[in-house]
Amino acid sequence: MSERFTGHLFGIRHHGPGCARSLLHALEALQPDCLLVEGPPEGEAMLALLDDAALQPPVALLVYDPDDPQQAIFYPFAEFSPEWNALRFARSRRIPTRFIDLPVAHKLALARAIADDPSNDDPLDPSPEVVDGVTDTRQSADLADDPLDWLGRAAGYSDGEAWWNHLVEERADGLDLFAAIGEAMSALRADAPCRQRADRQRREQLREAYMRKCLRQAEKEGYTRIAVVCGAWHVPALTAMPSAKADHALLKGLPKGKVTATWVPWSYHHLSFASGYGAGVTSPGWYAHLWQCPPERRAIGWLARAAQLLRNEGLDCSSAHLIEGVRLAETLASLREIPQPGLDELGEALRSVVCMGDEAPMRLIEQQLSIGDRLGQTPESAPAVPLQRDLQHWQKSLRLPPETVQKLLDLDLRQATDLDRSHLLHRLSLLGIAWGKHQRQGRNAKGSFHELWQLQWDPALAIEVINASRWGNTVAEAACAKVVDRAGTSAALPELAELMQQVLFADLQPAIPAVTRALENLAAVVSDVGQLLTTIPPLANVSRYGNVRQTDVGMVDHLLDCLLPRAAIGLAGACSAVDDEAASALREAISATHQALRLLARPALREPWWAALHGVARFGSGHGLLCGLAARLLLDEQQADIEQTGRRMSQALSTANDPALAAAWLEGFLDRSGLVLLHDQPLWAMVDHWLSSLTEAHFVRILPLLRRSFAAFSPPERRQLGERAQHLVRSTPTASPVDWHIARAEKAIPLLRQLLGLPAPEGEEKR
Amino acid sequence: MITQTLRQHAEQQFADELEQLEKSDTRQRPTHWALSPWAVATYLMGGTLANGFEVSAKYIGNRRLIETAIATLATDRGLLLFGVPGTAKSWVSEHLAAAISGDSTLLVQGTAGTSEEQLRYGWNYAELLAKGPSPAALVASPIMRAMTTGKIARVEELTRIPADVQDTLITLLSEKTLPIPELGIETQALRGFNIIATANNRDKGINELSSALKRRFNTVVLPVPSSEDDEVAIVSKRVNELGRALQLPGEPPALKEVRRVVRIFRELRNGQTEDGKTRLKVSSATLSTAEAISVLNSGLALAGHFGDGVLRAADIAASLTGAIVKDPIQDAIVWSEYQETVIKERSDWKDLYRACKEQP
Repeated sequence: MSERFTGHLFGIRHHGPGCARSLLHALEALQPDCLLVEGPPEGEAMLALLDDAALQPPVALLVYDPDDPQQAIFYPFAEFSPEWNALRFARSRRIPTRFIDLPVAHKLALARAIADDPSNDDPLDPSPEVVDGVTDTRQSADLADDPLDWLGRAAGYSDGEAWWNHLVEERADGLDLFAAIGEAMSALRADAPCRQRADRQRREQLREAYMRKCLRQAEKEGYTRIAVVCGAWHVPALTAMPSAKADHALLKGLPKGKVTATWVPWSYHHLSFASGYGAGVTSPGWYAHLWQCPPERRAIGWLARAAQLLRNEGLDCSSAHLIEGVRLAETLASLREIPQPGLDELGEALRSVVCMGDEAPMRLIEQQLSIGDRLGQTPESAPAVPLQRDLQHWQKSLRLPPETVQKLLDLDLRQATDLDRSHLLHRLSLLGIAWGKHQRQGRNAKGSFHELWQLQWDPALAIEVINASRWGNTVAEAACAKVVDRAGTSAALPELAELMQQVLFADLQPAIPAVTRALENLAAVVSDVGQLLTTIPPLANVSRYGNVRQTDVGMVDHLLDCLLPRAAIGLAGACSAVDDEAASALREAISATHQALRLLARPALREPWWAALHGVARFGSGHGLLCGLAARLLLDEQQADIEQTGRRMSQALSTANDPALAAAWLEGFLDRSGLVLLHDQPLWAMVDHWLSSLTEAHFVRILPLLRRSFAAFSPPERRQLGERAQHLVRSTPTASPVDWHIARAEKAIPLLRQLLGLPAPEGEEKR
Repeated sequence: MITQTLRQHAEQQFADELEQLEKSDTRQRPTHWALSPWAVATYLMGGTLANGFEVSAKYIGNRRLIETAIATLATDRGLLLFGVPGTAKSWVSEHLAAAISGDSTLLVQGTAGTSEEQLRYGWNYAELLAKGPSPAALVASPIMRAMTTGKIARVEELTRIPADVQDTLITLLSEKTLPIPELGIETQALRGFNIIATANNRDKGINELSSALKRRFNTVVLPVPSSEDDEVAIVSKRVNELGRALQLPGEPPALKEVRRVVRIFRELRNGQTEDGKTRLKVSSATLSTAEAISVLNSGLALAGHFGDGVLRAADIAASLTGAIVKDPIQDAIVWSEYQETVIKERSDWKDLYRACKEQP
């Protein structure tokens, strides 16, 4: 016993400007007395805010679970969305309006049931933030077999998007449009094999059953001109109605949760596919242009806007360019046998005529024009966002009430609560919510487990919270999203390394892979070895000692594995042709990296590094300071023997060399460490041997250099060196072994082993 | 068909394809065009005609680019094909001219020594001295001949031509006339006349186009092949053809080696591994498809003359280094980083890694 729905069905494509225009015409003609829109029934209370001028699209209707804000669904609206226009139309004429989609309360409960079901092991679904609330004609997750693509391909287009654009969105108005869309969809639904997963399919059935239920309800209430605005895909299901009983049976006993609704600002970027929004459109900016611009001025208007943009960026674009651009776009359109140039044709014309085939300006146009950077606004009277609730929840459970007086907080990271507090504060500062200020711990702090924060809550921070809410619904999630975004846009290695550290501080595990990847990618293309080198020591520190926060540092090890070989390969090149200033900066970096490597104790990393140092140590290949330093480091590591090093030294300090160069070499070789020279017997012997082998003339020449190098040592060191030199002739001092009391000494070893956490008694190398 | 000529013009080699296209082409043709724009696109991209005739693909790549190029020629703007060496610019230009005008021979090769006479007209001096200036003493350039017949003229390597000579083209392109002040006449171009210029954007020592000239051209950049499979197909096809033409001994290379060379080239060119997981430094060498072809060819020659006739890693390692390391400092770093971070990690590339390490 099937019935037919007597109202008017308007199958639309979400965010389709052509649909919106036709829909407005149709509504004007129909003058409905009741409007039903595919949307969350819980959001109906929010419709009152449509009157508020401060509600500026793009905005999204957010429906979420107040106890678990991650469980949320966004229903975005842009000024060109058919639903938005229908809602405004009804609001301005005081026509009763209802949302008829399956209530989010059910949807979330269903999603949770599926997620909890152990037999369902698909990790993709249902991720909490998937914004597919507005089921679109493109069945969001199954893009590979989008039914529109079939229609498009049948009509000879490359994909469904292009087909739909040309046929619906970019066309002049046509009132028969909705009948045609309904027909096309009926044909599709009849023939398209259903490849969706069973649970998704069931959800679709539930949604359509609920919509039908609402339709019947409206009919029962006696409305005579009902207008229904829903995704085109659903039209056939609403045209032929099965019995009310069947729908009731289907909808009976659905699980239900608690939800709250509010408006949140949205952006064109979030509307686009690029942001991962399932029902998104490729180019919201182009759609906005289609909406605002009359069809006959479309191509010219678009090119003019592009020209404006290019000129602002300092790129040449004359009116003649535009004329040629329009002509080429139109010729292209006729070659492709379409009535008007679309976004593709205009893009190709711009690239060819204005951009000289260059991709970079085109990317600018795509970002700023095709997608656009418009951000919506919501009135202050809109209810609080979930992020704010989540923050309040944390403030309560961590007993950190927001206070406007300044207060110093000393956290002991060994305590679980304090650790959580630290994580929260670090996450907030990553989000730009400046509640706490991290005081760099002074030397007087009693260890690395202390952290000092200066807390002060500013009421204006509420705005920051709302701003940050576009990143996510909980503090952790939002911080992750923001970090991932920053990692993607950052272009400097030190900045990323810093970010990495902050991420570890804030314990944002999910963000670590993204930051690591960004670091890795940047490290691969960066050619500034100095930058690479400065990135390594802090990472090595983290890798060796971890931190008191029990974070997983496996990713850091991996990073070091790829950073170090790169730095090693480029090192020799980086050390040549540098001036004194750059050389001394590099010297610090090389020493620090060398220290870091010794700390890491990973042989696989050492080999390339030593090879690189050998390359630098070859005299004449680089700055003297660095040559000397490399020679010295190799000697210390016993990678070069005394003989080789001696040869290097006499080569570097030969008479033929430029004195300044030789002096730099010596300075690098001695490495500001008078004490080592004093106590390292072989080193002393080597310098001594070299010095005494000089001829008088050579010695006189080299004396100023020596003075200069030794001047860097402190006076006591110099005095001791002098004293030692005085006695050297007689004594070959003094490495004579101390008279150990072996038995006594051994007694301390077990305790030492325990202190150092060493396992077996094989510690031969322990000093 | 066996002919004595070493290389045939496009319109000779594909004469029957052009003929079939012309027969089945019912769409509107611009004046003096042998085919409609749609048919020209089909000739270049390949396809099946209504009567079942199979047109071979001349260009493997993005159809939209070719459509833009053809649409440009249908307007009155010149077409500038731009791209790194070895991306089939001249090939496309020759086939476009052959399909549109049935004649790809109206060609000016740009060199540093190209003079204005070669772009405009010269004189037959014997005639000139004997009878004075007259149309009979005039030697028309290929461009002038294209103007008088409404055909497509080609200028190869436009950026190699000295800047002052380049500018001769400005009047030609904007006014579509060629004044001959010596005779007090001018030659006006017929409809259908246009110019296809090619230029490469990686060369050093080129003469940048002036912006006045740039403005008179629509630029289409021919990219390197977008997918690995496309490129492998192009390379192995050309290597086999060339190997036969050059009578190289040895078997044609296994697909595996072709794929490996293509992958190395693509990865170094794109600055990331094919799976998108690792970023890499980019070599200063152009690493075009044409160079991949020549690497394989010289490997083939090595294997044939000095090896056992089968192309192995060691045979390509030598020419790989030569192709990739163009700048002895920067590129050497790029190449050794690539060996250490990519080649070494791939378990089935061990032979290549060893072969590269053995290179001096």
